[in-house]
Amino acid sequence: MLSTLAFSSGFSVSRSPVSQGRAGAPAMLYGEPRPVQIIPSVLPADWANMGAECKRLEDAGVDRIQFDVMDGNFVPNLTFGPELIAACKKYTTVKFETQLMVSQYNCETMLDEYTAATNQPGKPGVVIAHVEGNTHLHRTLTKIREGGGSPSVALNPHTPAEMIENVLDLCDHVLVMTVNPGFGGQAYIPTMVDKIKKIRGWIVDRGLDIDIEVDGGVKADWTIAACADAGANCFIAGSGMFAYENLADGCSELRTIAEAAQKGKGLPKGETIKDLDAVAA
Amino acid sequence: MAVPLNGQWQCQCPPHKRCCKIQPSMLACDLADLASEAKSVLAAGADELHLDVMDGHFVPNMSFAHPVVASLRKHVPDAYLDCHMMVSRPSQWVEAVAGSTKGAGARYTFHLEAVEEDELDVAGVVKLIRDHGMQVGVAIKPGTAVEALSAVVALVDMVLVMTVEPGFGGQKFMPNCMPKVLALRSEHPDLDIQVDGGLGPSTIDAAAAAGANLIVAGST
Repeated sequence: MLSTLAFSSGFSVSRSPVSQGRAGAPAMLYGEPRPVQIIPSVLPADWANMGAECKRLEDAGVDRIQFDVMDGNFVPNLTFGPELIAACKKYTTVKFETQLMVSQYNCETMLDEYTAATNQPGKPGVVIAHVEGNTHLHRTLTKIREGGGSPSVALNPHTPAEMIENVLDLCDHVLVMTVNPGFGGQAYIPTMVDKIKKIRGWIVDRGLDIDIEVDGGVKADWTIAACADAGANCFIAGSGMFAYENLADGCSELRTIAEAAQKGKGLPKGETIKDLDAVAA
Repeated sequence: MAVPLNGQWQCQCPPHKRCCKIQPSMLACDLADLASEAKSVLAAGADELHLDVMDGHFVPNMSFAHPVVASLRKHVPDAYLDCHMMVSRPSQWVEAVAGSTKGAGARYTFHLEAVEEDELDVAGVVKLIRDHGMQVGVAIKPGTAVEALSAVVALVDMVLVMTVEPGFGGQKFMPNCMPKVLALRSEHPDLDIQVDGGLGPSTIDAAAAAGANLIVAGST
């Protein structure tokens, strides 16, 4: 992970140059950019060939693969559990990430299984617990770490950033949901960028080594650019990735636009990657 | 105990004429390669695919659900999909499962114990399943007495008598569930009676002798 300790004063922040030709607020990433990670969600994949789909994503150059566990209680959809996730380990060496959109009861009874299923030898699995589904979030995040996993905490769109302010020290990532969880193919919620900026501010000012992930309607367009500009560096894309005939193209385009936004060349609404050079000019 | 008749096994003790079928459980397969696994068991002669859907609430495990079934259906368009729904509020998933299994036959087996928390009663759940074009099964756990089914049997196509506590594969067959099977078979000679849990070469005779005709085979 990229260290943020360059800012000893907490006030000398790196501001990327304002890009020209952009409408609205200028691009200003707070703090040094952290490495962009493209993390496809398996939601749009062929679930009867999950192992092969994971291999296809690995070949496309993704950084992690996200498994959406839904229990029909926390969200109104039901997907799969730890055994299916664990079965995929034979097919790929890409790191796994499991988002637990499950009730408190299910999280408490099955957290160890979820963590074990997501871990791979030498690669702690990222296990994402929802703040809304865990009354004892501090304990849950600690348990993930004790189980050899990499803790992450997720916030639904309505949940204020302050809900996770006191557990940042336990997390390796924070996931800001940019849709209401439960189904793929939903529209990105643009008001979430303020939440991303706030959390990014805490991370940079406190010198924490934490990635910000975003998930929901993120595509290779202004949506990923806006999130990257606000401080997110991990991008979960489901339909945004699987829309491409060639998944490697999808991965590459998402990465290119995100990295450009981190450097101040944010893609405005309505433009595509082809316009990226024009924006920088 | 059983004799072949026109290529189908017919159990003679106790007397009934229901066809005996072996239903492989997909839970025992490589869950990352369900399409190939399903095709293999169908090619080997399986009549139906048994799909164990768990929601982490009715049972303390989560396996896979209707979106997985929908993907699987694309690869096995003609297979009969026997969906054992170990879920709370069984009416919640009827429409989704019907959508996922459409194209060929399917059965929606709900647990009697789960209906208590459902907004519909048993008759309502049964009607909902039929309205969505699926056959109806009702399941009971080892701890549930067979008498609890007395008002329900007439409504359904199949009864599933669990021979292990549901939630996990690889458990040991509970022979003390056989009297339930015998009681059902004695009263209902034309009923499809399924058993699930620890069925294998050493236990299948007991199940068949008691009158079960649909045998779910998983890890064995």
